Amino acid sequence: MQQITLSKRINELLVLAVLDHGPAHGYQIALSVEERTGGAFSFQHGTLYPILHRLEAEGRLQSEWHGERRRRKTYHLTAAGRAELAAGAEELERQFQALFGLIRGTHVA
Amino acid sequence: MSREHPLKRVERGLKVPPRRRLDLIEEVDADVRALQAELERRGRTPGQARRAALRQAVPDDRALADLEARHAPPLGRWAGATGWIDRAVVLGVALAATLAGFIAVIAMYGSGVPLVPAFVIWPLAVVIAALAANLSWAVIQLLVHGDLRPRQRRLLWTRQAGLVVAAVALGALGAAWVGRVTLAPLEPQMWAEPMWEPPVLEAVARMATVAGTGLAAAVFGLFGWLALTPRLLTDEEAERRIARFFAQARPHLALASDPSVDNEHRGES
Repeated sequence: MQQITLSKRINELLVLAVLDHGPAHGYQIALSVEERTGGAFSFQHGTLYPILHRLEAEGRLQSEWHGERRRRKTYHLTAAGRAELAAGAEELERQFQALFGLIRGTHVA
Repeated sequence: MSREHPLKRVERGLKVPPRRRLDLIEEVDADVRALQAELERRGRTPGQARRAALRQAVPDDRALADLEARHAPPLGRWAGATGWIDRAVVLGVALAATLAGFIAVIAMYGSGVPLVPAFVIWPLAVVIAALAANLSWAVIQLLVHGDLRPRQRRLLWTRQAGLVVAAVALGALGAAWVGRVTLAPLEPQMWAEPMWEPPVLEAVARMATVAGTGLAAAVFGLFGWLALTPRLLTDEEAERRIARFFAQARPHLALASDPSVDNEHRGES
């Protein structure tokens, strides 16, 4: 996997986690992230779209256009995305445990 | 207050193929409308909801750069990563022009037409170099950015048409000059002997070679034109749809004049 920053990784996992509950439009993903994290995370200034398009290009999401005159795009998770979410969440949990272990002086095995 | 559609800046700033630009602005527009409706349903005024929706969904410069990096053609992504994107265009154009001009001069001096004056050879070489530069500029733009804007496209066709006409004109001028120099001394002989005598035929062949060089340059320009046309026609259709999108959009609240937008620019994920 290409090396990406922690914040990018978290953003990706936020998107994957929301879509794990079902297909959604871009705005629904952004709203859902904000609401379900109590405002701790939010996507502003269109930062959501590069993430969605990257995940789609990597095969973790798929999108479909609906409508004729006014088109709308819906994203849904693929099997690869679901696997990525599980692996990513586990990896992130380990990293944060290690981080807080260091901060709080607790030894993590 | 600016009446420009907020997505116009996105469309203008995003250097990706027109089809990608159209998809993005339609996607963002649909999200802005839906988000605005949702926020109004939750009790915000239309103005507040509109501004919040625009702030959330309309890509800023950083998001645009990310999108550009994602949707640029492979060569563009590579050139962008190495920081050679502008130099790639300049170098490519310079290389193509130099090579074409050099080949044209060698071909013309080596064609056994010693009577062609320098005032025809060198301008013709410059025209051929300019044709190559014009075409390579368009091709490299398409390879690097995947995008040739309508204004750039019009410029490409105008320059190409002008250069093709110049090539034909220079070829004709050169042929006329060669004819004047080679056929004038033969004029008494031409009336006395049949037209197909070797000196006359040789003069005509020289004229045809010079005219042919101009025509060959014009054909080169026309072939380049034809090679690019299918791709540009496809892009043209997407450009028309983009123009239609903005023409049909009703006036929107502008982002630029809203100070709250910049104040809330920090702290997002």
